[in-house]
Amino acid sequence: MSLDAVQVMSGQVKELKVPPPSNGDSRGSWEEKEEFDRDHLGLSTKPKPPKPENAVTVAVSSRVLFRTEREQKVFEQEGVEEYLRDQIAHEDEPFAPGPAFPFVKALETVNGRLRELYPQSEELFDIVLVTYNHAHVGIRLINTINHHNLFIERFCMTGGSSPIGYLKAWHTNLYLSADAEKVREALAEGIAAATMFMPGKQTEVSESQLRVAFDGDAVLFSDESERIFKAHGLDKFFEHERANEDTLLDHGPLKGFLEALGKLQKKFYAKGHRLDCPIRTYLVTARSAASSGIRALKTLRAWGLEIDEALFLAGAPKGPMLEKIRPHIYFDDQMFHVEGAAEVGTIAAHVPYGIAQKHNPKQKAGVGK
Amino acid sequence: MVATVENTDVKQKDADRALIVAVTSRSVFESGADDDGDEEVYKVGTAFPLLQALQRVNERLLEENPAESLLFDVVLITTDRQQQQQSSRIISSTRHYGLEVGRFCFSSEEDFTESLLTNNVQLFLSTDAMEASQASQKGVVSAQLDQHAASCPSEQLRVLFCGDAVVRLSSSPAPASQQAPQSFSAQLGEMRQRFGLFDSPVSVVLVTSRGGRESCGTALRTLRSHGVSVDEAYCLAGAPRGPMLSLIRPHFLLSVGFSDLKE
Repeated sequence: MSLDAVQVMSGQVKELKVPPPSNGDSRGSWEEKEEFDRDHLGLSTKPKPPKPENAVTVAVSSRVLFRTEREQKVFEQEGVEEYLRDQIAHEDEPFAPGPAFPFVKALETVNGRLRELYPQSEELFDIVLVTYNHAHVGIRLINTINHHNLFIERFCMTGGSSPIGYLKAWHTNLYLSADAEKVREALAEGIAAATMFMPGKQTEVSESQLRVAFDGDAVLFSDESERIFKAHGLDKFFEHERANEDTLLDHGPLKGFLEALGKLQKKFYAKGHRLDCPIRTYLVTARSAASSGIRALKTLRAWGLEIDEALFLAGAPKGPMLEKIRPHIYFDDQMFHVEGAAEVGTIAAHVPYGIAQKHNPKQKAGVGK
Repeated sequence: MVATVENTDVKQKDADRALIVAVTSRSVFESGADDDGDEEVYKVGTAFPLLQALQRVNERLLEENPAESLLFDVVLITTDRQQQQQSSRIISSTRHYGLEVGRFCFSSEEDFTESLLTNNVQLFLSTDAMEASQASQKGVVSAQLDQHAASCPSEQLRVLFCGDAVVRLSSSPAPASQQAPQSFSAQLGEMRQRFGLFDSPVSVVLVTSRGGRESCGTALRTLRSHGVSVDEAYCLAGAPRGPMLSLIRPHFLLSVGFSDLKE
């Protein structure tokens, strides 16, 4: 089947899925074909990974993509040599999915839809595995990726040194890790990053639509308003927001990632897929719609960012709302909310940014922002 | 005519067990335009940090085991007539910096490759691509040092294997052109095993440039079968190499197994 025929068919009939050619011919360039010969694959087509500067690069660490608690324990209790020996002994046992797994699967689903609509485009998600594990664990990680049928072709195993330099070289748009230290380092370098935790229970999430939810202050926006609230209380906060309604909020660490998602959404809209767009974004904020929320909306509008649903809770707990939305990932700067999300089975990621980090994370429900 | 001179300042290594590395004098020392200058001692060149790193590995090996025989044995070799005639200056410069060079080989452009073979050199390093290529054609594992090697760390030897050209696993015995790289790898691997995971004076790095995870997995398994455990692995799948290499900072790159080193 020629490439032209594939393009025409995908554009016209949404449901038709063109099966990969069975004769092992790749869909890409000669260079790609060389790679397959070298790989001795000769199997189904594997699309070529995009150039890092064109793609939305999401870097995940092995500890959030997969469940490695047992191995972590071996590392902590029995030392590094025993840890490696254990890993190599279990090399053919794939790891179980971790907290970032559903999110990564959803990114791949979006990629599939993007490739159907724009076969030549490199504006896709590119998932990179970044770990400071030693490469001894590499084979087990590769086996695991194969087992779960993930499309991850790029990785960095730094053998103990900081992965931050590599994150920058990959033009990373989002970094997810289990290590808060590394996440803070990344944030300090201007890379959107968050710490992920495994929830006790997991609610089912959509397999056809990627849903990403964001807190407002200190995530999409700066923490300036939170500072006012913490220093002077709720009344002063409202006063300040009202007075500054027309002043844009400063940007927060996840603004860039929302922007990247928006760019991809527009590609779906351009092909008539606004109603069934496979990416959906949510703002879940303790601000209230009638007052403090206005400044948030005006800011987003001024930035040219669309958010699909803005939920102003006016201080009410976020759990029930998150349970309804069922995002693949929810970003919040306060551990209190991250834990609250986990209680309802939502996978949340902590953005250790701003003034909230200096205060006791456990706050009274309803008062916290 | 090739003159081989032992460096009496340095304790000689066990020729059967040592990993013999030859480095060109032009790589180690910066020879100015005016070679018969008044100064006795050359300035340091591109390969200087590399020599210090090799020395560091030896020091740590002997710390672990004072009777260790698997050490780096460094041969300083001249590869052109001009340098060949600077023997005393090369020797005095070596002594001046306290470099752990076991032997000097004063050869010219015609016979340096023969010297490499006669001295059982297992790894030849030069800043000159032509020289590296010539030596490689004679079956000596060779690598070209690029100018970035000058800014590499001197406390840790960083060896980079380019995974896209790693020898394939096969049940038949390795052909002659693959034996040298394999035995070098095996010895390097054995040396690496003398140290723990962290704080090792030698680090083995693997980069697969074009291939995806399958290429990388194959490379890891192949190197493991040669006795080399890899510390760091980077799978680029077509992403630009330059930024990665400047982060990895290897002292030299090896394409193990295949004769063309143009990566």
